[in-house]
Amino acid sequence: MNRFVASLRIFISGAWLSYVGLFHWTDPASYVASIVLAPMTYMLFFMYLGTSATGSGTADFYLVGNALTMAAVNGIFGVTMAVGNERNFGTLLYLLGSPANRLAIFLGRAFFNVLNGFVTVTICFGWAFLLGLDLHRADLAGLALVIVVVTFSTSGLGLLIGSISLMTLNVMFVNNTIFFVLLVFSGANLPLAQMPGWIQWGGAVLPMTRGIQAARGLVAGQSIAQVWPLLAWEVAIGAVFALAGYAVFAWFESQARRLGTLEGF
Amino acid sequence: MNPRLGGWVRTVWTVFRMHLKQMAVDGFVIFTVIVQPLFVALLAVFMLRGAPGFQAIFVIVGSALTGLWSGTLFFSAFNIEGERWTGNLEPILASPTPLAVVVTSKALANVTLSVVTMLVSYPIAAWLLGLTLTVAHPWLFAFSLAMTIVSLISIGMLISPIMAIGPGTNVWANALEFPMYVVGGFLFSVTLLPGWTTPISYVLAPYWAARALHLSSSGGGALTEIVASWGIQALLSLVYWLVAVWLLRIVLHKARVEATLGLM
Repeated sequence: MNRFVASLRIFISGAWLSYVGLFHWTDPASYVASIVLAPMTYMLFFMYLGTSATGSGTADFYLVGNALTMAAVNGIFGVTMAVGNERNFGTLLYLLGSPANRLAIFLGRAFFNVLNGFVTVTICFGWAFLLGLDLHRADLAGLALVIVVVTFSTSGLGLLIGSISLMTLNVMFVNNTIFFVLLVFSGANLPLAQMPGWIQWGGAVLPMTRGIQAARGLVAGQSIAQVWPLLAWEVAIGAVFALAGYAVFAWFESQARRLGTLEGF
Repeated sequence: MNPRLGGWVRTVWTVFRMHLKQMAVDGFVIFTVIVQPLFVALLAVFMLRGAPGFQAIFVIVGSALTGLWSGTLFFSAFNIEGERWTGNLEPILASPTPLAVVVTSKALANVTLSVVTMLVSYPIAAWLLGLTLTVAHPWLFAFSLAMTIVSLISIGMLISPIMAIGPGTNVWANALEFPMYVVGGFLFSVTLLPGWTTPISYVLAPYWAARALHLSSSGGGALTEIVASWGIQALLSLVYWLVAVWLLRIVLHKARVEATLGLM
């Protein structure tokens, strides 16, 4: 019980300190730029790019797909940096020397990124609505659930990349590349059924693909019961990536302790 | 040669060489100038290939422009900010070489790296994607590319002091990436956008760069349209440069008179 309370305390204080210390949110203009201007123009770019080829009637396809990819921005970049920054800021040494629960530390560091991801995607759907997304048949509660699920699954991938980032100096290269891999393979901008097999296969094993399918279904009028299997798979994929991330981190820590290579990568 | 001018030339060459070396091994730089534009090209090819009048060269040039803009934006944003992070800003400002010379040299290195990398990687990418690239007017395209380099250096010079003076460099650099993709007309015509955005496109040199590059590579435009794009790019570049020099004076003022440069 004491260990649980200690972990909970680490989680809460870690989340709060990361919010205060690591986010540049004290400047409202910059925060608005990051969660309003950037996502809106990102969605506009892909919407106009897509509709320039397929016509304005297909705008919903691009709006829904790209709104959800914003979850990946926070899930991948936020969570990756939550782990990777320990090394960049020179605090990894102290962290691994402490008896604190590792999972509690990293979940705390990632918490506000995940929350921010949910807020950003919600704002994106607001933009999508203003840009003409037809939501009159949509199950909005179901859509909110999809956002939560996709935020979770992409954060799982972020945890894995974050752990890998402890072994590479080029974390920004890795997480940016993974984000664009998701853009291609998840079907956010491409109708996967019409894509080559290698893209379909890639989409099947990555997070976000099924979440986007579920969101498109819900917007088109499907019920939550109809898209439930897609969401269950999305959660499962996110859990597999999160577990893999934790395993990689545990391996990294044990190797670093055994070989003295903590800062040797 | 005038000793002062000789000193500036030496500084330009030294800063250019050092900055190029630093950038060439940076993973984020490699991502920005090679990987991201290739992903954009891959997406654009799959998204646009069914469209009537699809031209591979249009997609490749447009994708390259996205990379050139991202590179200009991110690298210029950190031209001054990066020196602040590494503690070199004050010594640079205290040196007799004008800050504008240092920033110009860095902007030159940024654009050179982006352009050279893309000229090498895009033919390879087109070959891998099975695309045939045909440039309608090679000489006009080459001059359009040269004008693009000039205008990107100028806008890069403008970005550097703005990012150094204002807060949240990281956030703003990220936030300003896609707006230019949209209003720059890189991969789709700006006529698709609401009419009120057109004047914004017109005051941005990358829009005219995209126009000249697309017209000269894809064909279909009159020579006068291309030449007019070059002229407007030259004019806008001059305006950007003048504003940049004025902003760099503000940076110097903050450093030397207010002593607040390191605090921002």
